[in-house]
Amino acid sequence: MQFVDLAALTVHGVKNRLAILAARAEARGDRETLRDALEAAATLSRLLACYKAEKGQLAADIGACTPADLVGELVAEVRQQTALTISADLERAPELWFYDEHLIRMVVRDAIYNALRYARRQVVIGARTRAGWLDFGVCDDGPGYPPQVLARAAGSWPLSREGTGLGLYLADCVAALHCNNGRCGRVELANTSGAAFHLLLPE
Amino acid sequence: MAQQTPYSDKRFLILDDQAEMRSSLRSQVGSLGCEQVTTAASVRDALQKLSVSSVDVILCDFYLGGGTDGQQFLEYLRTRRIIGRGVLFIMVTAEKGYESVVTAAECLPDDYLLKPFTADTLRQRLERLLERKRRLARIDQFQDAGNWSGTVSACDEIIAARDRYLVDALRIKGNALVQGRQAESAIAFYRQVLSMRSLPWAKLGLARALQQQGGADAAKQLLAELITEAPKLTAAYDLLGKLHQDSGDSDAAIEILDKACLVSPNSLARQRSIAAVAEQKGDFARVEQALGQVIRKTRHSPLRETADFARLGNAYCEIGEAGKAVGLLEEARATGKDAAADPLLAAVEAIAQRKAGNAEKAAAALERALQADPAALTDDAALNLARACLLAGRQDSAQSILRRLVQGNPEAKQLHARITAVLRDNGAPELAEQLVADSIREIVQLNNEAVRRAKAGDVAAAGEMLCEAAHRLPTNLQIMANAALVVYLDILRNGLDSEKLRSAQGFQQAVQAQQPDHPKLAEIASLVEQIRSKYARSE
Repeated sequence: MQFVDLAALTVHGVKNRLAILAARAEARGDRETLRDALEAAATLSRLLACYKAEKGQLAADIGACTPADLVGELVAEVRQQTALTISADLERAPELWFYDEHLIRMVVRDAIYNALRYARRQVVIGARTRAGWLDFGVCDDGPGYPPQVLARAAGSWPLSREGTGLGLYLADCVAALHCNNGRCGRVELANTSGAAFHLLLPE
Repeated sequence: MAQQTPYSDKRFLILDDQAEMRSSLRSQVGSLGCEQVTTAASVRDALQKLSVSSVDVILCDFYLGGGTDGQQFLEYLRTRRIIGRGVLFIMVTAEKGYESVVTAAECLPDDYLLKPFTADTLRQRLERLLERKRRLARIDQFQDAGNWSGTVSACDEIIAARDRYLVDALRIKGNALVQGRQAESAIAFYRQVLSMRSLPWAKLGLARALQQQGGADAAKQLLAELITEAPKLTAAYDLLGKLHQDSGDSDAAIEILDKACLVSPNSLARQRSIAAVAEQKGDFARVEQALGQVIRKTRHSPLRETADFARLGNAYCEIGEAGKAVGLLEEARATGKDAAADPLLAAVEAIAQRKAGNAEKAAAALERALQADPAALTDDAALNLARACLLAGRQDSAQSILRRLVQGNPEAKQLHARITAVLRDNGAPELAEQLVADSIREIVQLNNEAVRRAKAGDVAAAGEMLCEAAHRLPTNLQIMANAALVVYLDILRNGLDSEKLRSAQGFQQAVQAQQPDHPKLAEIASLVEQIRSKYARSE
């Protein structure tokens, strides 16, 4: 058995435990435990995806998806886990776009967990079209990205203890798997009223 | 307490081998106000529950333990039509990876739900998926009924609306064009979709349509390209394997199917295809390897198939292990549901018992096999039954079985070659040369004679001849179509007769089901129209 198979089986077992933990926490309204369980599961998925990316086994299964549904589900999921204000900005969301629903969900979810760590009062999660691109945005009102993160060269994210670098590395990999008509997806970071994460996917 | 939601009246089935996960899922579903929830711990358990009452939503864990998984379960449900397209099937899994390999579009779950998820996420997902089912309900009904032109026009309505179900409708429409054998329309349609965006399912559909139109080489090239682009689309490997096989290149077929096995190692269907290719190639060690795996996984499971045992038993005989074959075949007969009456199993057992030196048991098995309705035998069953007869010295029985097989499939050159080989290899080389040609001549003469009589005005006699042949040869569509035509003509000229009408309708529907683009169907339909207006007026 290869390591990746063994890892997948282990992740499956651990996620079963986390699923039971999360369901119990949700049933009794225990927000902190719910968040810990769900975030731990997200960390495991990220680890496995990074391993696959390194081995060249990360592939996108691109299909027609509804961005508003993805954002809507994530917003509802995150609201249960935090006292911060979580809102959706879907005014300019397209009806359909082509991407790998699961990979994109993982990347946006990672960006949200990162924002939750730094936000003061609120996080806005949005999907909008921008000149032939779909822009998934996650914006918080925290202190913004440190200069070394903003100045990075693509693919060489500085690793922080919280694993932010790993998340951004994976976001780059996933974006690069979404190509059409010679254009490929990319990640843009900016400091506006806080940190602004943008995942751009070509039409 | 009783919450009214779009799903609170839905019936759920939860399938998970782990008790804790079952109860966790059950309470999540319960928290949404759904009260009709059944749980199952195994595929057997789930099938039993589905046989008692139908459900609207199935939540199935991918890992089911004991060598089976949710994908195998879903394929079983869909290919046996145990659930209609209207039933929502959601695959619950920890990681989307191996699970997402694609066998065939209709064996895909409606969605994957990744663990862990909250009850609230489940609620949103259910609402969305049920809305989709509602929107596609009419299409699903047409598809379930095999009404492909209806499917196409229902898809066109959604395509015109350009809402979020647009791509679903495009995908289903393409498939319906292929299923309805509208190869040219399908090719044009897929090319148009591909001009908008390179989508793997559209390329696969285009390859299917090209194959239908006779463009096997173009289809092969396209599939090779597709496999590089979308290496997890195992349906592309399967189709390419089939194309290689059809063009007589079994080595290339096995090579491509082996590659597919690396992508999705647990597919039973693929091991069965490998066995079928290897069997025709005469590579029985490979048949043993492939079917041995299938049987190890399904022996004690409801997913088991009697034909796997018969074919593995045959492979054992071919590699000189008649004793092993006998053991396996006797086990299959004793333990399989309805296996004792299976003509293929009995025919192979007759051969194996004879090779193992058990003449009496061989004779008994042959008697069991010969009790089957000859018109209902599969090609494999008929070929093996003929072999068993030849080995037992019953050349007449073998001839009559093979003659019927040729006459039922007068165009199937590959089958004819197998028939010739059976005769040649089992002590009847003198018959091998003539049987196929003679049988075809006989059925052509019968057909021509009936047509001649019909033209001469004796439609009743022509109808009798063709009906007899059609009942005997239900896969010979030319005979079936002519029988329908002549009997309808008889009714139009000589008066309404409910028995004749029923039999003509039966032939017409059989042709329609086997080949919706059969050239005679239009003529038959116009006759039916004439009959309807004639007798409607006289009423």
